Amino acid sequence: MSTLLLLVVFLPFLSALVLGLTYLFDTHKRVNEKFYTILGVAVPILVTILSFVIVLDLMSHSSTTVVTAVAFNWLSIDSFHIDLAFVADPLSAVMISFITFIGTLIHIYAAAYMSSDQGFGKFFSYFNLFLGSMLLLVLASNPIIMFIGWELVGLVSYLLIGFYNKEYENVTAANKAFIVNRVGDFGFIIGLGILFVAMGDNGFTFADIKENIYAIDNHTLTLVGIFLFIGAMGKSAQIPLYVWLPDAMAGPTPVSALIHAATMVTAGVYMVARFSFLYNEIPQVGEFIAIIGVSSALFAAIIASYQSDIKKILAYSTMSQLGYMFVAVGLGAYSAGIFHVFTHAFFKALLFMGAGAVIIALHHEQNIFKMGSLKKALPLVYITMFIATLAISGIPPFAGFFSKDAILNHAFMSEHYTIWVLGVITAFLTAFYMFRMLFIVFVADMKNNHIEHKALSKALTYPLIVLAIGATFAGFLGANEAYGGSDLFKSFISLNDINYSISHSTEYMLGFVNVLVSLLGVTLAYKYFRTSPQEPLPNKRVRTLIINKFYVDELYDRLFVQNLRSLSNFFNKTVDEKLIDGFINNVVHLNLYVASKFTSLQNGKIQHYSIYLLSGVSMMSLLLIYILEVR
Amino acid sequence: MIEDILLALPLAIVVLGAIVLMLISHFPTVSLKKYNLIAVFFLVCAFILKLTQLDDSNHIYLFEPLFNKMFVIDTFSNLFDLLFLAGAIVTLLINTHYFQERDYYNGEFFSLLLFSVFGMMMLSHANELVTAFISLEIASISVYILVGYNKNSLKSSEAMLTYIVLGALSSTFFILGTALIYGVVGSTFIGDIYSFIQNNPTKEITMLIVALMFIMVTILFKIGAVPFHSWVIDVYQGAPYPITMFMAATFKIAVFAIFLRLYLIDFTHFYDIFSKILQVVAVVTLIGGSWLAISQNNLKRMLAGSSIVHAGYLLIALSSIGLGAEFAAPAIVFYLMSYFLSAVGAFGILSFIAAQRRRRATFDDFKGFSQERPYLAAMMTIFMLSLAGFPSTIGFLAKFYIFLSAIESGQIFLAGLGITVAFISIYYYFKLIALMYFYPTDEEPKKFPFGISSSVIFLMALLTIWGGVGTGWIPFLPGVDTLVETAKEAINSISVKPY
Repeated sequence: MSTLLLLVVFLPFLSALVLGLTYLFDTHKRVNEKFYTILGVAVPILVTILSFVIVLDLMSHSSTTVVTAVAFNWLSIDSFHIDLAFVADPLSAVMISFITFIGTLIHIYAAAYMSSDQGFGKFFSYFNLFLGSMLLLVLASNPIIMFIGWELVGLVSYLLIGFYNKEYENVTAANKAFIVNRVGDFGFIIGLGILFVAMGDNGFTFADIKENIYAIDNHTLTLVGIFLFIGAMGKSAQIPLYVWLPDAMAGPTPVSALIHAATMVTAGVYMVARFSFLYNEIPQVGEFIAIIGVSSALFAAIIASYQSDIKKILAYSTMSQLGYMFVAVGLGAYSAGIFHVFTHAFFKALLFMGAGAVIIALHHEQNIFKMGSLKKALPLVYITMFIATLAISGIPPFAGFFSKDAILNHAFMSEHYTIWVLGVITAFLTAFYMFRMLFIVFVADMKNNHIEHKALSKALTYPLIVLAIGATFAGFLGANEAYGGSDLFKSFISLNDINYSISHSTEYMLGFVNVLVSLLGVTLAYKYFRTSPQEPLPNKRVRTLIINKFYVDELYDRLFVQNLRSLSNFFNKTVDEKLIDGFINNVVHLNLYVASKFTSLQNGKIQHYSIYLLSGVSMMSLLLIYILEVR
Repeated sequence: MIEDILLALPLAIVVLGAIVLMLISHFPTVSLKKYNLIAVFFLVCAFILKLTQLDDSNHIYLFEPLFNKMFVIDTFSNLFDLLFLAGAIVTLLINTHYFQERDYYNGEFFSLLLFSVFGMMMLSHANELVTAFISLEIASISVYILVGYNKNSLKSSEAMLTYIVLGALSSTFFILGTALIYGVVGSTFIGDIYSFIQNNPTKEITMLIVALMFIMVTILFKIGAVPFHSWVIDVYQGAPYPITMFMAATFKIAVFAIFLRLYLIDFTHFYDIFSKILQVVAVVTLIGGSWLAISQNNLKRMLAGSSIVHAGYLLIALSSIGLGAEFAAPAIVFYLMSYFLSAVGAFGILSFIAAQRRRRATFDDFKGFSQERPYLAAMMTIFMLSLAGFPSTIGFLAKFYIFLSAIESGQIFLAGLGITVAFISIYYYFKLIALMYFYPTDEEPKKFPFGISSSVIFLMALLTIWGGVGTGWIPFLPGVDTLVETAKEAINSISVKPY
């Protein structure tokens, strides 16, 4: 089993290396796309199978069994060791199973989406590397290896977002993602550093930390928790480090799907769940996380309601859903949070791939107000997208309902009523903006719609069907007693949840509220956007504010970018050129001046030279007399 | 007796070679190439013989019944003999190309060079001041003539005159010092001063101090320390390239051969005084040399100026000896070896190019050199890096040991100054690199000229790098450690105090 685990991590890296080298040395483009496709897709499939085997193995044992695998000793200082080791416990096993599964579907989809692209081989090399990095992050047995995966994910996301690096905007977006992620990573590594010091000699694997968590005082833990969460903010796009996510849409659509569904953004949620034993010790930080989460959720939902770029809407919806997840993990409902990660992966991947299919069909048009009535042209895409929209809006029995319901119930039961209310409002907005998008793209009759449609290949559409099935039924895995389920998901991953007993009647009542507000959102969207929608114009103050995303980008630009730039300029122009260079130049000029005077003594006259020699002897004699007298 | 003859054989071979060359120079049919080969042949014979004797001779007086203790054979002198022989061989080989392009060379040139080598070898064996003086003069007078060998060149003649007059002037101090020592001690053997003071601790010894200072003046003159440096730049520039190379690399080592022996034995009781003098001289030499080097436009003059700076580094190590730095003396030997490699290489490339039609003398002439001759430019870069003391070259290690010994002996100021001066030296060494690489040229790229000269230059470049990174990891190849160990052994062999 442990060999399989090693393979799960190493295979994607290996194939990424092979693909990358092939691409690099294939300067004449002789290697067929088929080679890249076969290798690039076969490895994720293989890894998916291996992951399922591991999950099934874990399911057949008791909940405390874990699969461990040590690749090699990475660092060894005295008695302190850091192994490149992997652990598959129920949590990470669940993560890898859906990461690899959905990742594979996206790979297949990408093979069609990216076909006849110049950098096809490079793209698949990055893609496999992305998958491998995420698996490394999830399976790492200690935070340091996790950090390596964490950084690798950031790096590959940078490479993929800026994949079409000929265009300036894409490069800027990639830079933005990379830099904002660095800010978060900085927090993450500070947290790890404090934790490392606090742990002392007790080892540094997750198991070690869990065992010795009681020895660390609460203040230190609070600090560690906050800093680690700052890392999660960066990766999982929460306020205030979310600004990179909408811009990251610059990458090809499969990249967006992979970032939003299977990899990267879920890393933050996973990390908090992984450290659940730590966050349970510091409920105050958990509350903070929940507040950040619910504000991000609401904030993103508001912005999404006024966007007109299909990918941006989906990007903000991801941010919003991530907010829910953080509400869950912040309030101690780790399994609910991970469950939402799980269901979200299905419908978000589906939404992105559907959006990609629409974009491809319309020759790279992304503005929803230039689409419309695609229902007939793209029936399959319409149906699958419709399922996904229902799922994300929390309409039963689709997947999103169960996971979102679990989170909101938990917020209500733990007596965080404000968070609950905000969450419900967000649910309303979610249903509203998602159906707004759906109606405008597929149903509404647009006057300006004269674009010819391109036929879609099977590789683009079949993954949609698979995901649609997942988006429909994945929810039942985690359905609780009240809905006739048995909490399979929760009992399998067995995290340190904080549990509240809840009566079925309350549960039905809460579920009813959720469904009601969602339906309200759908109705509203239907009313305004069913027939002839208008692109929102920035003609009112509030609307202008929302369309411009609350001017946060501009604010950051003014606050950080411009100030840093002027500081850099100050150092470059003033400190470096005037102060340091000036000083050095003066010294140099002085020396050159003295040197030229000294050299002019070399006039070639032997008489003068003899005098120098003799005066040298005299000076040495004087020196000698001086030394002797002093003595 | 037989053993003594065997030990003296390398010396004899060299002087024999000199005489043979002188004799056959009467026949005008012999080509320069043959002269060169004959000279190299004798030198190589002596070198191989010396190499076999390196280990098994420990502090033997040569022909003791005849010469008393005038000549000593120890590891120290053997090592230096090897360096002189190697220096002469390399000088001749590198300049093969150069000799062919110049018509004013003939057999006597090689004869004189061998006489000079003979003088140097005598010098390293000399255990007595008058012998040392005579050896020094044999070596020097040969070099005086060689400097002015190009009779047609006014510069060359002027350089010779400068060198002779000033050299004679400085030599008087050596003989004056010797006379004073004889007056006080009643003997001129090295080591007698040591035992004299040991036996008469209460005697007034000011006279001895003065005498030793005079001897030091001559030495400082020969190595070109400020304020006795005035001849260096003019003479280096006026002399033909082979001779400049020979003076800068080999002759300087010879001067240190005698001075180290003297300093380690006879100066022992006066270290506190002479360390102070040497410190002052080192400071002015480092600064003055740097000033001279940075203000030169001519490459040969720049290298002359920089050789003054290198003498300054050696003076730092010398003063460290007296202040108890254990490793200072081997550091000097190591530094001399490293300087030999890099300087011979740098001058070698200059002379190699000087043999071509287009002369390159100033910095500006080297603009775009890397495009014209990429390999030579790369090797020149290696030598410049080594001279500047850049890591991964032998020059770095050599400087490192010197500064280490300075710090060990508590001369923080000198070490700091040395490092500062090393920074300044980057200016004039890297200027050449920058000019070679960052400027365009109209010249066509030329092929790498395979031949003896270029091969030897290449070998020097390899050794320069090997000396910087080389360890004993590769079997049968001596690494830096071996060199350092040899230097240590050599120093230990003279530290054996007589009586």
